[in-house]
Amino acid sequence: MNEAILAVVVLLPILGGALIPLLPFKNRTQMMVYTEGLVLVNSALALALLFHRPEDSFVLFRFTSNLTLSFRVDGMGTVFAAIVSVLWPLCVLYAFEYMEHEKHEKIFFMFYVITFGVTLGIALAEDVVTMYCFYEMLTLVTLPLIMHTLTREAVLASRTYLYYSLGGAAFAFIGVIFILVYGTTPNFTPGGVLDLAAVGERTNMLLLIYVLCFMGFSVKAAMWPFSSWLPQAGVAPTPVTALLHAVAVVKAGAFAVMRVTYYSFGPDFLRGTWAQHVVMALAIFTIVYGCSRAVKETHIKRRLAWSTVSNLSYILFGAAIMTPLGLVGALSHMVAHAVMKICSFLCAGAVICKTGREYVHQLDGFGRKMPKVFAAFTVAGLALMGVPGLCGFISKWQLVRAAVDSRDPLAYIGVAALMISALLTAIYMLTIVVRAFFPRKDFDYDTIRDVKDPGWKMLLPFAIFVIAIVTIGLHSRPLIQGLESIAAQLP
Amino acid sequence: MDAWILLPVFLPVLAGVILLVSLALEKRKKGEEQPDREPGEAELHNLHRYVAVALAVSGVLALAAAFSGEHSVTLFELLKGIPVYFHVDDISRLFAVVISIIWLVVAFYSFVYMKHEGKEQRFYGFYLIVYGVLMALSFSGNLVTMYLFYEIMTLTSMPLVLHNGSREAIMAALKYLFYSMCGAYLGLFGIFFLYKYCDTLTFTAGGTLNLELAQGNITILLIAVFGMLIGFGAKAGMLPLHAWLPAAHPVAPSPASAVLSGVIAKAGVLAIIRVVFYVVGPDFLRGTWVQTAWMTLTLLTVFMGSMMAFREPVFKKRLAYSTVSQVSYILFGLSVLSPVGMTGALLHVVFHMVIKCALFLTAGIFIFRCGETRVEQFRGIGKQMPKTLWCYTFASLALIGIPPTSGFVSKWYLAQGALEAGVGVFGIVGPAVLLVSALLTAGYLLPITTSGFFPGGIVKHFGIEEKHEAGSAEEASVGQSGQENNSAAQADAGKVAETNRKADSLEPVPEMLIPLVILAALAVLLGLFPNPLINFAGRIAASVL
Repeated sequence: MNEAILAVVVLLPILGGALIPLLPFKNRTQMMVYTEGLVLVNSALALALLFHRPEDSFVLFRFTSNLTLSFRVDGMGTVFAAIVSVLWPLCVLYAFEYMEHEKHEKIFFMFYVITFGVTLGIALAEDVVTMYCFYEMLTLVTLPLIMHTLTREAVLASRTYLYYSLGGAAFAFIGVIFILVYGTTPNFTPGGVLDLAAVGERTNMLLLIYVLCFMGFSVKAAMWPFSSWLPQAGVAPTPVTALLHAVAVVKAGAFAVMRVTYYSFGPDFLRGTWAQHVVMALAIFTIVYGCSRAVKETHIKRRLAWSTVSNLSYILFGAAIMTPLGLVGALSHMVAHAVMKICSFLCAGAVICKTGREYVHQLDGFGRKMPKVFAAFTVAGLALMGVPGLCGFISKWQLVRAAVDSRDPLAYIGVAALMISALLTAIYMLTIVVRAFFPRKDFDYDTIRDVKDPGWKMLLPFAIFVIAIVTIGLHSRPLIQGLESIAAQLP
Repeated sequence: MDAWILLPVFLPVLAGVILLVSLALEKRKKGEEQPDREPGEAELHNLHRYVAVALAVSGVLALAAAFSGEHSVTLFELLKGIPVYFHVDDISRLFAVVISIIWLVVAFYSFVYMKHEGKEQRFYGFYLIVYGVLMALSFSGNLVTMYLFYEIMTLTSMPLVLHNGSREAIMAALKYLFYSMCGAYLGLFGIFFLYKYCDTLTFTAGGTLNLELAQGNITILLIAVFGMLIGFGAKAGMLPLHAWLPAAHPVAPSPASAVLSGVIAKAGVLAIIRVVFYVVGPDFLRGTWVQTAWMTLTLLTVFMGSMMAFREPVFKKRLAYSTVSQVSYILFGLSVLSPVGMTGALLHVVFHMVIKCALFLTAGIFIFRCGETRVEQFRGIGKQMPKTLWCYTFASLALIGIPPTSGFVSKWYLAQGALEAGVGVFGIVGPAVLLVSALLTAGYLLPITTSGFFPGGIVKHFGIEEKHEAGSAEEASVGQSGQENNSAAQADAGKVAETNRKADSLEPVPEMLIPLVILAALAVLLGLFPNPLINFAGRIAASVL
């Protein structure tokens, strides 16, 4: 019976979300209560499920005898599902205050809630086909969210997003087909499913397919050369950029990459081949590239988006190390980056929503007027830089430990890239912090008289994220042990 | 329970945070309409008392922690197998004690000085926090803990640099931040590799490198260690990451410049000592290209710093370049990896702290009393502030290394260490560079004394405008354009100056002068009675080499 809940947590938000524009709400409060209630119930169900994992899988239906749409909880899926289940209710709460002045609120919340279900579908997918289906669906349901404001810019951005994502998915699909043909089973299995007897002489072709598949899925994770859609998509309302473009959508890309690497092709097959070097080199390049673009960018949300580009490649780099430790590093950065980046995005959103300022040079002296927002932003910034005691240091440590342990010279270069990236992160985050807290001496506070901290619906998520950043930073033991137990399943 | 040794860490940090938070709350309460108000005399007095008590109590606690035997505290596990761990050993003692004394002395000086900079509460908030962080840095017992506080030190000392809020100061602060971060990340890069190849990251005299594990990975380890030397050397102003120092130290208020140059630059030295002698182990580096490159870089820095100081007309900048040069004396002493050299380096850590603070306090007095910053404007200053200039002169002599002042002792050991370390050509080149640099040091410090006491003929005179209305316009113009005036005007001014010289004393109030006198006296006395310190430093050096 437990297994059926697997499908419930995926389908409930999809159906419940679709009802939002249809239900006859009397006022905004009712809609808010319904939406938040729906998301909270679903999160509670999902988390309960993750703590009492059913052993078996649940088959929703069968396309053919061996192609099914089926769900199952395993360690890696747990991590991703837990991240989104915790973040979604908080971001919905934040969105209530943010969206107050925007139009088409119901449509917005409809898609926002549906996306929750689809993302859980990716996390809980038992096999590569199910994951692929939900992956495509994710592109389609998040499209209206980017387009939300219907400005020319937004329409263009959503079009770019569509082309990039569908194109990437097409490449990924090639990989999926090959997994079906050469694998013993479509189900995700720690260590991979490739049937080496069937592969025979075609190793190089399969490696090529792996590279294509990696690059296809990593389009959503915004790896260079397919990264430019992400900063463009920053035109979406901030709850979307914060949750989808820092966590759900982009991490779905990284998650899919880890799935095919560790659970389909298998790290043993890939380790030490040219394919590994190609994908690792791309990830390393993106780490530095994203940060450099972030330093150059003056629009605050786009700057954070470029920072996301760089940080997602930390995860891809961890995945590309292809050792159990690499998986630990990648997963820990997935968790750490989720809280840090969402926190900094929400801060940026609070500034944009409450004051209309969008550029870094307009933020002089904001620290005194929005002390809570900028305190949270500072903590998130320091965490992104990797200051010890905050969660960014923990995940970076795990990544680098894996890289040093692998004794691969390219991974050493990756370590250097991480350090360069940390320096650039310091530059693009701390210039904002210094500006906000230490304006020039002739700065006139009258020019920002209208600026003040937002209401509790925005501040509560900040407080929770800051606590999470510090807690993970100071007490990482349970998290890392959990991730290590996941990696221990790899042969 | 040894947890009480963390009191000198937490107490000042807490006191500083209270200051900053109350400042923020007060600003909010007053609302947006009122502009920033200058605090009243009574308020300032309370603030000073608060700071003095906080520093004195934590200073006493720090001394108690340092001198009551071996202590260690484990707070919690930051990462698996890497706790936040504090341990008091001889190096900790040396740094904690000297830093505490200097911090307190400079604080007393700053009480008067900061009146003309303003925003005292913010300044003292960070001043206290940085003190706590420095204590934590001194007491750190493993590499990751040290790295943690090293980063925090950078972040919390940055507001001291940008204190006056000018564009120049903010740019300098950012430069400071980014160079330090760059250095810290180079250090972190090395820590990752040491974590893999060392038995433990806990500081152990003589190093913990596991040579069996390291077999076959020597190259990458050497690169990592070299990165750490460059990285932590950034704080100490070592080439090639030195450029922030001459920009950042002079723009800070003088008390902050003093502690930045005197104390915080030494945090880089402390980090390098910890890495080389307590984690990697000197034997691993001896004779490798890393040692050669390190010695070369330090000697280049010594020479380049002195040369730049010699050419620099702005007084505080000149002192900052001098710091670049002098801190690399210390690093050179470490780089030869001999007990005598290390003794010299540790001695120079202490002496340079005292001397450089004294010099920056002098610069502060000149700025505070005359408003002048350039060296050529200080002509004749000795007639008006003889005591200040005498203190300056003694500190200068000590920095040059003229016996029997303190600098002589440390440089003696440095040179001797280089000669007997068996480092080939560096044994000769090293002492030679030190000598040339000493000459340059004399060249950039002593002219202020000579022209201050013996201006020779025509002098610009400070402070005339306020006291002598007659002919003030003329003198003001002289004051502004210095020696560019024609000789007649200069002669006039000279006459006026001559008549007023005896009447006008610009000597600062005792609260400012006494800290300076203490430091200058220390600079000389430590040279006269160096034996306890030499024995102590020698003991440390013998324990690691």
